[in-house]
Amino acid sequence: MTRLRATLYYGILWLISLCFFAPIGWIVLSSFKTQNEILAMPPKLLFSPTFDNYRALFANDGIFKQIANSVFLSLGAVIVAVVVSFLAAFCFSRFKPRGTDFLMFLLLSIRMLPGPAVILPVFLMYVAFGWKDSHLWLLLFYAMFSIPFSVWILKGFLDGVSTRYDETGLVNGGSWMHIIFKVVLPQVRPGLIAAFIFNLIFVWNEYLFNFIIGGVNTQNIPYALMVGTYSDGGLNWTFISAMTSIYMVLPIVFIFIFQKYLLVGMTFGTVRGEV
Amino acid sequence: MTKAENFEAASGLKRRSVLKGGAALGLAGVAGSGLVGRALAAEPHPLAGQKIEMNILGIAGWGPSSLGVAMSPLFAEYVKAKYDYDVTFQFQEAPFADLFQKAATSLATKSQEFNIIISDSQWLGALAQPGWILNLNEIIKANPNLQLEWYSKAVVDTYMTYPDGSDQIWGLPQEGDVEALFVRKDWLEDPAERAAFEAKHGKPMPQTWEDFAELTMDEFELLADFFTRPDKQVWGFAQQYSRVYDFATCAFNNFLWSRGGRTWDATTGQVEGILNTPENAASLAEYKRWLKYCPPGATNIGIGEGVDVFVQGKVFSEIQWAAVGPAMIPEELKGKVLVVPPPKHGTGADAKRIMSMGGQPWVVNAFNDDAHMRVAIDFMNWWYLPETALEFAKRGGNPCDKATLSRPDFDDINPWNRTFKYMLEDGRSQDFWHDPKYSEMLAIQQEGYSAFVTDQATDPQAVMDYIACAQQQILLDSGTSKIEPSAMCAGTSL
Amino acid sequence: MSPGMRPQGRGRLMDNPRTRVFILLAPVVTFFVVFNTIPTLWLLGLSFYNHSLTSGMPPEFIGFKNFVAIFNGKNSIWFDLSRTFTFVICGVTFQTLLGAALGFLFWGSKNMPGRRIALTLLFAPMVLTPVATGTFFRFIYDPTFGVLNYIARDGFGMAPIDFLGNPKIAFWAVLAVDSWMWTPFMTLMTLAALGSVPKAELEAAEIDRVPYLRRLSLVIWHHGKFIMMLGILLRTIDSFKTLDLIIPMTKGGPGQSTRLVALELNKQSFESFNMGWSSAYAVLLLLISIAMTSVFIYVLNLRRRKEAEE
Repeated sequence: MTRLRATLYYGILWLISLCFFAPIGWIVLSSFKTQNEILAMPPKLLFSPTFDNYRALFANDGIFKQIANSVFLSLGAVIVAVVVSFLAAFCFSRFKPRGTDFLMFLLLSIRMLPGPAVILPVFLMYVAFGWKDSHLWLLLFYAMFSIPFSVWILKGFLDGVSTRYDETGLVNGGSWMHIIFKVVLPQVRPGLIAAFIFNLIFVWNEYLFNFIIGGVNTQNIPYALMVGTYSDGGLNWTFISAMTSIYMVLPIVFIFIFQKYLLVGMTFGTVRGEV
Repeated sequence: MTKAENFEAASGLKRRSVLKGGAALGLAGVAGSGLVGRALAAEPHPLAGQKIEMNILGIAGWGPSSLGVAMSPLFAEYVKAKYDYDVTFQFQEAPFADLFQKAATSLATKSQEFNIIISDSQWLGALAQPGWILNLNEIIKANPNLQLEWYSKAVVDTYMTYPDGSDQIWGLPQEGDVEALFVRKDWLEDPAERAAFEAKHGKPMPQTWEDFAELTMDEFELLADFFTRPDKQVWGFAQQYSRVYDFATCAFNNFLWSRGGRTWDATTGQVEGILNTPENAASLAEYKRWLKYCPPGATNIGIGEGVDVFVQGKVFSEIQWAAVGPAMIPEELKGKVLVVPPPKHGTGADAKRIMSMGGQPWVVNAFNDDAHMRVAIDFMNWWYLPETALEFAKRGGNPCDKATLSRPDFDDINPWNRTFKYMLEDGRSQDFWHDPKYSEMLAIQQEGYSAFVTDQATDPQAVMDYIACAQQQILLDSGTSKIEPSAMCAGTSL
Repeated sequence: MSPGMRPQGRGRLMDNPRTRVFILLAPVVTFFVVFNTIPTLWLLGLSFYNHSLTSGMPPEFIGFKNFVAIFNGKNSIWFDLSRTFTFVICGVTFQTLLGAALGFLFWGSKNMPGRRIALTLLFAPMVLTPVATGTFFRFIYDPTFGVLNYIARDGFGMAPIDFLGNPKIAFWAVLAVDSWMWTPFMTLMTLAALGSVPKAELEAAEIDRVPYLRRLSLVIWHHGKFIMMLGILLRTIDSFKTLDLIIPMTKGGPGQSTRLVALELNKQSFESFNMGWSSAYAVLLLLISIAMTSVFIYVLNLRRRKEAEE
């Protein structure tokens, strides 16, 4: 009886998960259909899958540049952000300089602002300094946008590492650099991973900033998705479904592998624990 | 101050860009020894032996834009043979709704990111006023190839001139475009349908291009009604109602103008009292009334959605841009579609049609360096060669020069060509404002029209009042107009 | 910490409390000043100017006129704000209720076969590219070609529903997609909140035969409330920012029915290039988000204080 109940219970949970996944499944399914099959009424569940959409996708040279940009911008920005944030978080956590709370507050408020309000003054500044459509400056902007998040996550973790480690290290003659990178850093690895993954997903999915302060050279895949919605005349469903299917593999694989960091990542490190 | 004077006064910048344009030529132009004049001279081209990469910004998902690009290798061959330089093209694109944004964010930085831009006609002012695009008056003067005879004054007004009515040229037509009615010929010719229609209305269905050219909306409505069969998932008609970009505006202006209305006074910038007349409000109601022949979801139909419903066989007829002809008539619909002028409004001898102009001009980035400027000008020269224009037409594009359109074989190149030519004639099609504030004015009016067709606002007069007042305020704030919104405006809202 | 033990110059700098703070904070402060302080000051300044990028005219100082226009003009911020807050309140309420219910449901699933995969499927909507999600939902919602209407029509014999074209429905249709994306987040938070409840207390309550609802309020809510509040706050702030999702779905239409603040600002700044007005608008949004951040921090501090007490 309990076995049956357990099966039923788990069956319901699985059903709920599948319901949430269904629209995504529909996108993936569509990516193997022809345009006419996608638009067919009644919707086709059985069809002979075609890989033409993917072939067409990669037949376009621009796509590789856009993928490269997506990878470069998100990786680069997040690496810069995590390094910078770690140093700052260490400082906030250990030395508690005056104004720590205020700075932490300001940092967070950047992330709380609607996108166009963030990018508007930055755009004007980029116009004035000629920084638009540059990999470096776009990367740095993304880094700055990833910093608040990372500082918050890492400070939470650093607060949890006992200062006794630092003291032992110092007594044993280690330099502060040694302590920071060799003693403390390894202990906050979960925080680093969480900061890394969730900023990466954010930059990976980011569209507006890329559209406004990026350009020909720096366009990423979300940009391509937005621009490629229409093909000659109609809506380009084959492109949208194929591109989306490929592009979401990375975030979904990440939340599978790094599931235990999900909570930390999604809450600025303010909530810890596993699900 | 008239609009033109005001424009002069407002923009030292404009003059600067004229000078810049002059300079670009001037480098070239003096006594035929300069860059541009040299096109005809025997001496070697200044770029000979060089490799240039050009960037074109065009409209994503817009056939004619991609055609321009698809044809660019021909230009590369042409200049290689003629001037001995190598040019490659990079094509960048953005959808209609975002392209101005893309162009403007880039041009604001004085960037050469895009050397040539396919602009939509109503952006001319917004691009010209800050001096972002090249004034072409001097270029045209120096290049006999560009002194073409255009098919009609509408071409010049729509794609080339800003401010309206002045002689300042900022663009050259890339794709000409007009509204056309796409009709399922195979449905019309079905004997069973014919018999049923005749039994019902006591007259035969129109069959030929000529029949449709004389058709009025009232007569056409019988057809639209006849083919509207929701139980069979088929509807009689479709046109654009979408809130995106200018979709609802262009479709509604067909009604507004054809029924005798006007949108504004281009010289004084007066909107209030011109746009919000009771007649125009009635036109708005009429525009909405046609929704009953459209498929569900028609209030979201834009260009792309319109193509989808037509190609998937959901509608009998659709008012759509001639430029999307190749997409509207794919392989499986070849021979089954008749492209005719949209029906006239009104009855009897008073019936008339004044439809929206579509289409896009080429504009040239004012910040191009000399080499790119030179290639851009060579490109324009090449684009208007008779061979190029013909090739463009053969691939499904719509050129605008009189010579090409007057060719005896032109009408038969594409199914929509005859209608295109017919509608391009003066008085049949016109464009709306080219004001630099167009985007703000457009947003207001798109929201208003969209709110009305979706029943969010129910009083057409109130909607028109709201739009007219808001637009009047925008024009007053920007200095384009001296006319203040009247006291009535305080009470208007959407 | 005897001075003789410092081998490198850098190490020595790190011993001075002033310099080490400086060294560690320099990068972050540089980033902050360049990408935040300067632009924000720029924004503040520009909010007092009439500046249109397409007019070709230099900015003109107009005092508070932009703010007056924002509050009193035809396009007043109140409409957008009330719409946005409706969006936020309805969305967050729904997501919290459903998310919490699912959280309770998943609470006892530690031994579920394939739990990790099931959770990945459940959490997938929140890591998708919003632009792609929005575009695709436009298709799913389509009255003629969309699968939802197919189900409604052929499954339930309903008249076609124009989800995104009907202003009465469009707002809720967009909200539904937002909820689809973010209900899993509230489930995640609920699981975390439930995880923070000490097992011993739960068992004690069970042995004492405390009624279920009282157990909920006494034990579970007592321990879990801060995490839930943080979750609700984060969701509130995030949904206040909603933009990417709506652009491909409705662009703020039909009419103005889905025009949220972020969308209006995006349109005025990067379609109409009305930079002065937009700056003023952005300043107002900045004030709102600072207020929301303050509440967030306040709750965090409450929690910290409570933890210190225990």
